[in-house]
Amino acid sequence: MAQSSERDTPSRGAEPPRPSGGGSHALRSADLALPAATIKPRLSIEALLRPRVLRLPLAGTTPAVASIGLLDAAPKVSSYLFPRLATPARIAPPRPVLPQPVTVPAPTAPALAAEKMARPGRTRIAPPGDVVRMEERLWFLLQPDLETLLRSCHLDFPRQPFPFQLEGIAFLMPRHAAVLADEMGLGKSMQAISSIRLLIHAGEVRRVLVVCPKGLVSNWVRELGDWAPEIPVAVIEGDPQRRRWQWALADVAVKVANYESVVRDRELVAELKASFDLVVLDEAQRIKNSASQTSHAIRALSRRRSWALTGTPVENSADDIVGLFEFVAPGHLDERMSPRALGAAAADHVLRRTKDKVLKDLPPRLNRDERIELTPEQRETYRQAEEDGVLRLAEMGRSATIRHVFELVLRLKQVCNFDTHSGESAKLDCLKADLEEVQASGRKALVFSQWVETLGKLEKELMPFGALQYHGGMSTAARDEAIRRFKTDRRHSVLLLSYGAGAVGLNLQFSQYVFLFDRWWNPAVEDQAVNRAHRIGAAGAVTVTRYLAADTIEERIDEVLRKKRDLSELILSQSEPSEAGRTGLTVDELFALFKLPTPGRSAAA
Amino acid sequence: MDNNDTTLTFGFLTTVDSPTHGVFGGYLVVDATGRPLEFHCTTPVKVSRAQQILYGATLPGHLHGRQIGANLLAEATSRPLAVLVDAESLLHVRPHTPLPVGIVRRSDPAQPAPGGDETVVRFGTTTVSLPADRHNRVIEGLTALAGAVDLGEPFERIRAAIDEAQRH
Repeated sequence: MAQSSERDTPSRGAEPPRPSGGGSHALRSADLALPAATIKPRLSIEALLRPRVLRLPLAGTTPAVASIGLLDAAPKVSSYLFPRLATPARIAPPRPVLPQPVTVPAPTAPALAAEKMARPGRTRIAPPGDVVRMEERLWFLLQPDLETLLRSCHLDFPRQPFPFQLEGIAFLMPRHAAVLADEMGLGKSMQAISSIRLLIHAGEVRRVLVVCPKGLVSNWVRELGDWAPEIPVAVIEGDPQRRRWQWALADVAVKVANYESVVRDRELVAELKASFDLVVLDEAQRIKNSASQTSHAIRALSRRRSWALTGTPVENSADDIVGLFEFVAPGHLDERMSPRALGAAAADHVLRRTKDKVLKDLPPRLNRDERIELTPEQRETYRQAEEDGVLRLAEMGRSATIRHVFELVLRLKQVCNFDTHSGESAKLDCLKADLEEVQASGRKALVFSQWVETLGKLEKELMPFGALQYHGGMSTAARDEAIRRFKTDRRHSVLLLSYGAGAVGLNLQFSQYVFLFDRWWNPAVEDQAVNRAHRIGAAGAVTVTRYLAADTIEERIDEVLRKKRDLSELILSQSEPSEAGRTGLTVDELFALFKLPTPGRSAAA
Repeated sequence: MDNNDTTLTFGFLTTVDSPTHGVFGGYLVVDATGRPLEFHCTTPVKVSRAQQILYGATLPGHLHGRQIGANLLAEATSRPLAVLVDAESLLHVRPHTPLPVGIVRRSDPAQPAPGGDETVVRFGTTTVSLPADRHNRVIEGLTALAGAVDLGEPFERIRAAIDEAQRH
């Protein structure tokens, strides 16, 4: 910067010039009130005190200015508006008591963001995979957690649901197409009922149809009463006129029908144009064969949501789950898909949990295979029957059919139970001995058989144990009465059940012993039977005794089934198959039980 | 006030820091039972070095309160009884809205009380600090809401929704 100075030397005695710029004032000696003698001549006070002014002109230059923008542009906002749900008056919570304000300065407890608000016990309702619109996905994500929903609706439960059951409810609620495939005993019906209840309270469904096997209708009505007591329920039953009226009923939220009613009333339902917001199938494996009348009738039901409950989504082959999906999500699965592809396509719609995974505290299931030697007379009868049967099959040659083999298998299995000539039974002797222990300990036992005839024989022989029967040949009232007596009367320590009627839906968890007097064709059905006792609420370990007649067809069948891949697990776990995937017996396998070639197949094949 | 009064609405405002994208803002309006009515979220805001230097310690308040919070509240169609936030910096939205803005904290009776003149009300495991002159009707409404919802819970939903929006 250019700098220049200017010195003004005033003449003696002259008045100092006043600065032109203002701001500084020259002093006079009089101003200081000093005697003049104290001041040396020639050096006036004015001169001494005259300020020296430095002028620093900027020479017209302007400083450079750098502007730094803060870029405070408003971020773009995406907005989503959701429908306001009506809150039914009956679930209005009581008026809360106002908390007293704490008029203290703000505390230093951490604001929520700082602690991430991680709170245990929150079950979120996630959007299903087939919901793609962002607005709909956000609608699910922004719902309160399930525990909050239940609290806000003031819904009481007879007992606190397990966390995995809440997850099951959170799985079902948002889905229009769902298969709840939990292992038997984990409370599928309770999860379905609670989901239905919440959807009804949210106003999302108003008309629900539950379809179940005939023997389970009363069970469903009871469970609905326990888990959703405020929801009106009607059972579709009785003569055609009554059923017509029941199908047409408008003010009942939940209707319960059995599969046979749906098939029988198919035209009536169409005529009435009955439609449902939700159809729930219990024991949905009933419709696994999509060509069956039952499947056709069920699929013809007009509905918005389709839920299937089954402990065995894949009972015999991969086709089972395809058949199930023809109801749940028609066209979603294809029989030509590989097991892995089926699993992947079904994954978002299927929820399966097993007891060992979710119920760490469930009492153990103790399996006990009892290999029983037939009595000599039984053995002789068995040998004779087998030899005759195989000989006959061999003589029939190519005309032998699967029905002939099947009949022989059944005849031999019956001999394994009771000698058809003498009535002797090595299994019965064993069972009696076992039941004495059961009775002595004050416990209860379930005995399963494939044949009602066997149950009849057992009832007579097991009178000392107060044996009761439960099978499909009995009326619903008689079966309910048998269950009631077995539950409440200490004198009845044994319940004899057929696999068909007793393997599904019953809650008999107060029984600590299960005996499989003979074996079913499919381990899944046996598991269902066992799980009547080994389920939530079981008081202690459940001992399962499976009787196998040594060196008989029963052992051979057991061996075949043991070697089978569990196709159900393959599909549900989406793992690669390691061998042929079937759990039932094929035609070839049936013939092979007797070392016979399958008719119509070449030896090389 | 009836707890079943569906005209009552409450706003929940929070931000989510993403190391890669920046700061997202989310604003959820719920009814008296905690069900969602509106959701608004921002595109991520990236803080520049210049902003960091020039705003200094006031940056979080500016960013969360004005740049994100005020914009989100302006987009809402309903007028909630109160807006709750979960971080101190979001309280800087107060000058930009006529609505009472409270902060939700986890209750911690063991914590010493610092200076300040807010009204603090306890709801279960949370406390809400509100401006002292705005609390009468707001407390009544929040009491109704807290009967249905843990007041800290809706912030979790906003975070989940922002996470979902990021992934799609």
